[in-house]
Amino acid sequence: MPIYEQTYRRYEARAPLRTVRFWPITREALRLILARRAFLGLLLVAWGQFLFRVIQVYVVTRLPEAGRVLPIDGRMFGQFLAIQTLFTLLLSIFGGAGLIANDLRTGAILVYLSRPLTRRDYVLGKLGVLMALNLSVTLVPGLLLYLIALALAPDQFAKWSLAWIGPAVVLHSLVTSLVMSLIALAVSSLSRSARVAGLGFFGLVFGLEIVRGVLRALYDRPESALLSVQADLQSLGNALFGITDRAFQLPWAYPALVLTAVSLACLAILRARVRAVEIVR
Amino acid sequence: MTATLEFVRASRWYGPVIALNDVTTTVGPGVTGLLGPNGAGKSTFLKLAAGQLAPSQGEVRVLGKRAWGSPELFHRVGVCPEPDAFWEGLTGLQFLMALLRLTGFDDAECRGRADQALEQVALTEARDRKIGGYSKGMRQRIKMAQSLAHDPQVLLLDEPLSGMDPVNRRRVVDLVKKLGREGRTVLVSSHILHEVEAMTRRVLLIHNGRILAEGDVREIRDLMDEHPHTVALRARDPRALARAVVGSPHVLSLTFGAEGEWVTVQTARPDEFYSSVVDAAVEAGVSEMYSPDENLESVFKYLVAR
Repeated sequence: MPIYEQTYRRYEARAPLRTVRFWPITREALRLILARRAFLGLLLVAWGQFLFRVIQVYVVTRLPEAGRVLPIDGRMFGQFLAIQTLFTLLLSIFGGAGLIANDLRTGAILVYLSRPLTRRDYVLGKLGVLMALNLSVTLVPGLLLYLIALALAPDQFAKWSLAWIGPAVVLHSLVTSLVMSLIALAVSSLSRSARVAGLGFFGLVFGLEIVRGVLRALYDRPESALLSVQADLQSLGNALFGITDRAFQLPWAYPALVLTAVSLACLAILRARVRAVEIVR
Repeated sequence: MTATLEFVRASRWYGPVIALNDVTTTVGPGVTGLLGPNGAGKSTFLKLAAGQLAPSQGEVRVLGKRAWGSPELFHRVGVCPEPDAFWEGLTGLQFLMALLRLTGFDDAECRGRADQALEQVALTEARDRKIGGYSKGMRQRIKMAQSLAHDPQVLLLDEPLSGMDPVNRRRVVDLVKKLGREGRTVLVSSHILHEVEAMTRRVLLIHNGRILAEGDVREIRDLMDEHPHTVALRARDPRALARAVVGSPHVLSLTFGAEGEWVTVQTARPDEFYSSVVDAAVEAGVSEMYSPDENLESVFKYLVAR
């Protein structure tokens, strides 16, 4: 009969902070992504429009007649965020395509789920990466632009009637970042190759946008916007910021419903695909 | 013996395929070998124990808690999976630190524990090298280190010696034995009898998803000795290796592989052969060693037929 030394003492580590169990996943992935120079370059380019808009606000406050060509009002923020949405697409492709696909390929998902983490923590950790990246090119520059506009042109922006701009920037940024992040993660979980996932995401988002363009050209109906995630976000943005554009002129509830359905579908895919063990039937 | 791992009428099936069939067994402190041919259900057994799969029927408990759906258990359970589950771009140290952070340690504690785990598996010198550049044996050892670093009470090791050279094989065997002596529950799966035999005498024999036998490995060993064992070694200088080992009384035959780097040896006494080959293996630059033998299958067939 074996006699054990019993020198082992019970586990002495502290339990992780319950509410932020996902944070080490986010932190590690962000560290790896931001170590890529090309990615930092993309982030830098994504802030280019912010600089342009700051100059626009400055010029219009100094030369009011320039406001006829480049008006500064609530719509400016909607236009700003519509362009930034393109960067969330690129960031989601380059930053998000491999987030789950690489873990599935290497089996690292098994190592993650051999830690005191749930599948929800894992998905939240990965989602946190994309949310951080996407918000860094939407919410952060959007709010900063608003603050700068308040500081440079208080006559135009420091009005109670324009107080909706701040919340609208927050809401639009959050919706855009969340939807893009969820789609990128869901597509990433469907493949073991980051490249395939990246191409899939690109094809899904831009492919549907092309289909929308064709339908719009053929039938000239704003409902065609419901087909494309990008157009849905644009419709929602237009409704929030009071922008009039026939191509996206839909009641806000329609694109909101489509985006909700897309997000729920992505969560369902993630629930089915994120497992420590892949079961092949 | 206090049971740290309990299977109560546990079954797991994948569609029409039954991977584990109505298994009832307990595993207590010390090292236990989970032995069975490829496809016997060993990995499913370990995945159920690690809470990575839910039993289709029955119950699996670890340290008194249901294994499935109890992530908090992983503070006290270490898993060394069979596949190479790595982030190739990280160094060995970064890999361990990242996983320790997930377990809930702060950075200073992570560093200390990572260094300690690297030392245990003799990877301290390679800690700042990227895992992508690690050899097969080093990859095995870093996997082992990640399962140990948080000081778990239960260790589940899936084929931990696969692809290791003789020196590191010895080192890992000693480490597993030490962990078992400390009173931890260590479950080691393998399809190679003498690997398990080097670590423990207590085995669970699994075949076609059922526990076929449990108890002392010697009885199985007696059956195995009737079947010569094959060992393949990859060496920088295979002919020097062949010269050194051919005189050993444990070697029955020796052949060179077609690619020139491999030597295949047949032996009736694999553990004696491994002990005698260590010096020669170092001199001939043996980088990889494995047993392609499937003769455990024949022993199982014998046991089933008996």
